[in-house]
Amino acid sequence: MPVEIPKDNWPGAVRTITLGATAAEGGSRRQVVTVGGAKSLPFLHFEAIHPYRPVIALEIRDRRPDDWSPLLIKTWQEVVDDPASWAQAGEKLGVDLIQLTLSLTKADGSSNTPANAVNVVKAVLAATGLPLLVFGPGQAEVDNELLVAVAEATKGERLVLGICEDKNYRTIVAAALANGHLVSARTPMDVNLAKQLNILIKDMGMPLDRILMDPTTGALGYGIEYGYSVMERLRLAALQGDTMTQFPMIVTPGFEAWKTKEAKVGEGVPAEWGDWEARAIHWESLTTIALLESGADIVVLRHPESIRRIQAAIQELMTQAEPA
Amino acid sequence: MYIIGENIHIISPKVKEALAEKNERFFQELAVSQVEAGAQALDLNLGPRKKDWEEVFPWMVKTVEAVVDVPLCFDSTNLMGIEAGLKQVTKAQPIINSTSAEPERLEKVPLVAKKYNTRLLALTMGQSGIPVKADERVNIALETLIPRMLEIDYPIEDLILDPLVLTVSGCQEYCPELIEAVRTLQFAWDPPPAISVGLSNVSNAVPAENRGLINRVYCAMLMGAGLQMMIANPLDLELKETIRIIEERDASTAVGHLYLKIHDRIAAMEEPHIEDVDMNDPMQSAIWKTTQILLNKVIYADSYLGQEAMA
Repeated sequence: MPVEIPKDNWPGAVRTITLGATAAEGGSRRQVVTVGGAKSLPFLHFEAIHPYRPVIALEIRDRRPDDWSPLLIKTWQEVVDDPASWAQAGEKLGVDLIQLTLSLTKADGSSNTPANAVNVVKAVLAATGLPLLVFGPGQAEVDNELLVAVAEATKGERLVLGICEDKNYRTIVAAALANGHLVSARTPMDVNLAKQLNILIKDMGMPLDRILMDPTTGALGYGIEYGYSVMERLRLAALQGDTMTQFPMIVTPGFEAWKTKEAKVGEGVPAEWGDWEARAIHWESLTTIALLESGADIVVLRHPESIRRIQAAIQELMTQAEPA
Repeated sequence: MYIIGENIHIISPKVKEALAEKNERFFQELAVSQVEAGAQALDLNLGPRKKDWEEVFPWMVKTVEAVVDVPLCFDSTNLMGIEAGLKQVTKAQPIINSTSAEPERLEKVPLVAKKYNTRLLALTMGQSGIPVKADERVNIALETLIPRMLEIDYPIEDLILDPLVLTVSGCQEYCPELIEAVRTLQFAWDPPPAISVGLSNVSNAVPAENRGLINRVYCAMLMGAGLQMMIANPLDLELKETIRIIEERDASTAVGHLYLKIHDRIAAMEEPHIEDVDMNDPMQSAIWKTTQILLNKVIYADSYLGQEAMA
């Protein structure tokens, strides 16, 4: 007996947003990356065509990170001392984007400076043809100081600058606005605050095709179900036509998963937890898969093996079943 | 609309200060101004008063009853304090605010209400908190609150059910369910218990400039569902004007016409419709957007009025 599959027909769609600009478009990227455009919930290909697949960004730092798991340092080896080589290694792995986080201090312990930040960003841009997301260290004053300099020195590249939060977004938005970049707007797992920050950024005059939203997620076992619900609710609102939620979502499962005890600690844990590295990679990939299923458009990852797994998963999820 | 005036509330710094000073005149003026503005009862929220309840509750009753005759509504978790206040009451039948379906409170509070022949406000909240769904809140009334009243032979006519208003800023999914809970609870028993809500809770954590509008629109919607009693600010003239418009069915202004339309749609178990609204009128447009957040159709944000309207 044939079974009629019920289909939703949504009035709204996620906005289509392009990261990076080629030389012809005023930048220097070899290719651009477009995300968004969804007209139904993730991977429901029988309901609507999903014009763009979710993409993977590799998270790198402007210098060797102090607080990363030794497993990550061991895997990436010496490239962690050179962001340009790190970005190239990511490109070789087939990631779509590079997400560079600037540190509060330089390797020698002195404060990071706008000049240093600009040099690092330019070196990464020169080393890879992928679009770039540049995030500050997460302290309002330093973020603003570094990101304004970066924004001006890379005018027209359509970088994503972050992280805009409700307490500190004006300077970053203004810098992005004046120099042809995009912004990422982060809120702490709360639909009301997510929407409010989008409105505030829009009210500054930022074109709506230059805003990504980061709803924050938590890792597997650490509140992911709450993050999942927030993302689901934002996406449903977007499909229902709420223009202030129709932004592609960027999430950071690499950051979230690698701060869990399960990924971070190799000693003094129960033997049945099994192999440390295998467990840590499972944590990162499973967290990521859940977020893709709840509507993530950009996932920011750390471990090369997680990246390989997520690349394969995305390919499979985006394959439409042949009609029977 | 029977309004229990909410303004004697310890959360207000002025009230807190006046209470510390035992400023009789302050409370008498606040009581009189609320009653003159139409409050038919006065809520007294003095906090738990763990140390000085024996003195403070009777003092407040004596102070307020010296100038007004309306029922006093004892809003406290301190049952001993409430009892001390009740002993001092000489005028109208007072109200205890409140019991819930949590076993300990439900065991003790109704017995005090019965002993002192008070009305009793009962929250549809159990041990596991406040359910989102209207049906579950109604079930708490039917399966726990009302049976307890029958068990101790407490008159259901004196019972006031409160299905609990929560804020649109953070608990948005509760807002439409509360409307349906108000609608259904009216048929919960024969004779029907009264139903009351704390209206201004709907705009807790909302920026001050939008609170009044959200309260007014929710009030119109709740009146459509049959609400006849609430704890609210009787000095809020715009709120009172909205109530008047609905009670007198005064459609002489465009905004009045819209409030009536919203009321009637809810009464007919329909949703307000964008065709009812002249979107070129900023006030009507703001009212429409407010209905949409209160029905959880559009996600609330502090700047929701700045977003273009959705049909």
